Amino acid sequence: MPGGTTLQAGEIHRVWDIFLLTATAIIVTVYVLIFWSIAVYRRRGEGLPPQFHDDLPWEVGLTLLPLLIVTGLFVLTYRAEVRIEHVAADPPVQIRVTGFEWSWRFEYAGGGPTVTGTPEQPPVLVLPVHQPVRIDITSSDVDHAFFVPAFLFKRDAIPGFVSSFQWDLSEPGTYRGECAEFCGLDHAAMNFTVSVRSRQAFADWLRRARAAHPGPATALPPGGRPATRGGALAGPAVR
Amino acid sequence: MTATTALPAPRSHVGLLGWLTTTNHKHIGILYMVTTLVFFGFAGAFAAVIRADLMTPNHPLVDRQMYAELFTLHGTAMIFLVIAPFALGIANYMLPLQIGAPDMAYPRLNALSYWLFLLGGLVILSGLLTRDGAAAAGWFAYAPLSTTGSQGNGMDLWAMGLLLASASSIMTAINLIATTVLYRAPGMIMWRLPIFCWDMIVTSLLILMAFPPLATTLALILIDRNLGGHIFDPSHGGSAVVYQHLFWFFGHPEVYIMVLPYFGIITEILPVFSRKPVFGYVGMVLSTLAIAGLSMAVWAHHMFATGAVLNPFFSAMSLLIAVPTGIKYINWIGTMWKGAIVLPTAMLFAIGFLLNFLLGGASGVMVASPPIDYWAEDTYFIVAHMHYVLGGGSMFAAIAAVFYWFPKITGVMLRETWGRLQFWLMFIGFNATFWPMHLLGLAGMQRRIYTYPPLPGWGLLNLIATLGADLLGVGVLLFLWNVWVSLRHPVPAGPDPWGGFTLEWATTSPPPEFNFTALPQIRSNRPVFDLRHPLADGPARQSAAEAP
Repeated sequence: MPGGTTLQAGEIHRVWDIFLLTATAIIVTVYVLIFWSIAVYRRRGEGLPPQFHDDLPWEVGLTLLPLLIVTGLFVLTYRAEVRIEHVAADPPVQIRVTGFEWSWRFEYAGGGPTVTGTPEQPPVLVLPVHQPVRIDITSSDVDHAFFVPAFLFKRDAIPGFVSSFQWDLSEPGTYRGECAEFCGLDHAAMNFTVSVRSRQAFADWLRRARAAHPGPATALPPGGRPATRGGALAGPAVR
Repeated sequence: MTATTALPAPRSHVGLLGWLTTTNHKHIGILYMVTTLVFFGFAGAFAAVIRADLMTPNHPLVDRQMYAELFTLHGTAMIFLVIAPFALGIANYMLPLQIGAPDMAYPRLNALSYWLFLLGGLVILSGLLTRDGAAAAGWFAYAPLSTTGSQGNGMDLWAMGLLLASASSIMTAINLIATTVLYRAPGMIMWRLPIFCWDMIVTSLLILMAFPPLATTLALILIDRNLGGHIFDPSHGGSAVVYQHLFWFFGHPEVYIMVLPYFGIITEILPVFSRKPVFGYVGMVLSTLAIAGLSMAVWAHHMFATGAVLNPFFSAMSLLIAVPTGIKYINWIGTMWKGAIVLPTAMLFAIGFLLNFLLGGASGVMVASPPIDYWAEDTYFIVAHMHYVLGGGSMFAAIAAVFYWFPKITGVMLRETWGRLQFWLMFIGFNATFWPMHLLGLAGMQRRIYTYPPLPGWGLLNLIATLGADLLGVGVLLFLWNVWVSLRHPVPAGPDPWGGFTLEWATTSPPPEFNFTALPQIRSNRPVFDLRHPLADGPARQSAAEAP
C-alpha cells in the first residue's frame, strides 16, 4: 500500500497500520474462542451443561477493555487528523478545483492557468514536489468527490460550499485521480491525472502555461501530457 | 407440553379472501415474509446483473443509465423492502407469541401497515416501467443530483413509494411497542422478556425517531422537484450539505434498525442450541439501548470527507459503538461457553453471522477514523464493509431465523441436508464475493461505476467477486428448492422440535388462531425450558405468587 506520496498519506497510513493490527488481533482472538466453543463444547448425551448465565467481574472487565482500546484509537486518530487537516495560511501554490458534470476545472491562483477537462479529455493537475499545495474545492452543479488513490485522500466537491486541504508531495510521478461520489451518468469517466514534478520543472511549466493561457483556458496546458487514448475510460498509464 | 397438545387443530386453509382481509398477526407476518422474499428476488437479480457487468474490465454488460438504476434499486430494495421489513415480519409473527399474547395490540393498523408496505414497494419498482426509467441517484438520493432535471419520473415514484413504506414502518413500530407494553402474559415482566422482543422494542423506538426525518426529507425532495422549492438548491441559497445531514440523521439509525432485530434473533438461537441460558441478559439489554442511543449521534460519519462537519465528535461516537457491540460478542461467546452445542442449519447460519459480522464491525471501526475514511470512503472498501454487516450479518441471521422458526410457522421441518449445503455455498460464496472488495477499495476502485480500466489486480478481484456472487445465487435457489420439497413432502415438526426456551414453543405448530389456550408459568426468561427441566438451575426464578 502506498503511503510515501504525501506527508498526509504517511499519517493516514500510520493510522491504518495500527487499526489493522488491532482489528486483526481482536478478530483472531474472537474466532479462536468461537471455534474453540464449537469444537470442544459439543452436545454429548441428554445431560444439561452448567446453567451459568452471568459473571459480573468478567462482564465489567470485558467492557472496560474495549473502552480502553477505542479510547486509544481515538487519541491516535485525533492527533493524526490535526496534522492531516493542517492548512497553511498562504502557501506558495494555491489551486481552486471545481467539479462539474463530468470533469474538473483547475484554476491556479496568481495569474492562471485554468485547466478544464472533459470526460473524453481528462485534465492534468500539475503540482510541485516538496512545496505545500493548498486546494480549495467546490462544485458547480451536484456533489462530486476529488480522489487520488495513491495519496489515500479524497475530499467532496459540494455546490455552494468551499472546502480546503493541503498536500505536501514527497514523490514526483504521475497519479490517477477519479470522482468518488456518484454524480450522474458519466461518473465513471470523471477522471483526472496528477502530475507531480520537481520544483524547477513545475516553475517552468507554470511560466509556459501562463504565457500560453493568461486567461481561462479550456485546452490542456502545454506540458500536460495527453491524458487519454480515445475511449472515455482509457485513462493515462498509472505508475 | 401435555397442557398444550389438547388445543384445537389450527385452521389450515385461509383462502384468497382470507389473506386479503386478514388482521391476524401470524398471517400478516407470513405476508410480510413472503413479500420480502419476492422483493429479495428482485434485489438479488439486480445484484446479479451488477456483478456480471463488472466481471471483466472495460466490458460493461449494461449501459450507464441502466447500471445507475440497478444499483439504486438494489440498495433501495434490500434496505427498505427486504432487510428491515423481514425483521418486522418475523416480529409480527413471533413477538405476540413470545410474550404470550393473542395478537398485536392494533390488528387493523397492522394490516394497514402491511398493505402500505406492499404498495410502497410496488410504487418504487414501478419506476422501471416509466419512459425515463427508475430512480438513478443511488439509495441515498443526494440532492441536488436527485432534485435537478437529470432524473425522470422514476425519482418521484421512488420518493413517493418510500414515503408509503416509511408510514408503514412507523405504524408497525407503534404497534410493536404497544403490544409489548400492554399484552404481556401474567409473569412476563420486562426483565423476563426474550431478548428478541427487547431488541424489537428498541428497534421500534429507533424507527419512531429516524423515519419521521426520512419522510420529511422525501417530502422536501418532492417539493424541490415538482413545486420549485429550491430547498437543496445552492444557487437559491439552499444547501446540499443540509440534505446530507437530514438523510444521514435517518440513515445511520436505519443501519441499526436493520441490525438490532437480527442481534435479537441470534440471541434466541445460540442459547437453544447450546442448551444454556443467554449469558449476560442485563448486559444484552443495556448494550442494545447503548447502541441505539449512540446510533442517533453518529450520522455525520457518513460526511467525514465533506470537510463540513465536526469530524472528531462523530468519530468518537462511532468508535464508542464498538463497546456495546463488543459486549454482545462477549455474551454470545459466553452463551456457547461450556454449553452442549448442536449444529443444525439454523445454528450454522447463526455462527456464520458471528464470523461475518465481526469483519463488518472491524472494518466499521476502521472507517470511523476520519483519516482512514478519507482513503476508504466511497470505494469498494465501504461496499465490503456494509455487505459484511447487512449481508453476511443480517441476511445470514434472517436465514437462521427461517430455519429456526419455519417448523413453528408451517408445522413442517426444512430439510437439514439441503440446509447445510446451502450454508456452505452461501458462506463461501459470500466471502468470495465481498472479501476481495476490501482490496479493490484500498486500491482505489470507487463505487457506482459501470465499467473500470484494467488496472493491476482489478480484473482478477472483480472476477472472484462475480464468481462468489454466483455461488450465493445457487445457495438462494437451493433454499427455494428446500422450501418446495419440505412443503410437498412434509416431515411434521411437532410443537417444539428444537427444545426451545420461549413461549412460542409452548403451543402447536402452527399455533391456533389466538395462539394459546393455556400458558406455562412464567418465572424466568425461558419458561418452556423451566417446564421441561423443573429442577435445573438457571436464571433466578420466583414463584408465581411472588411475581409482580
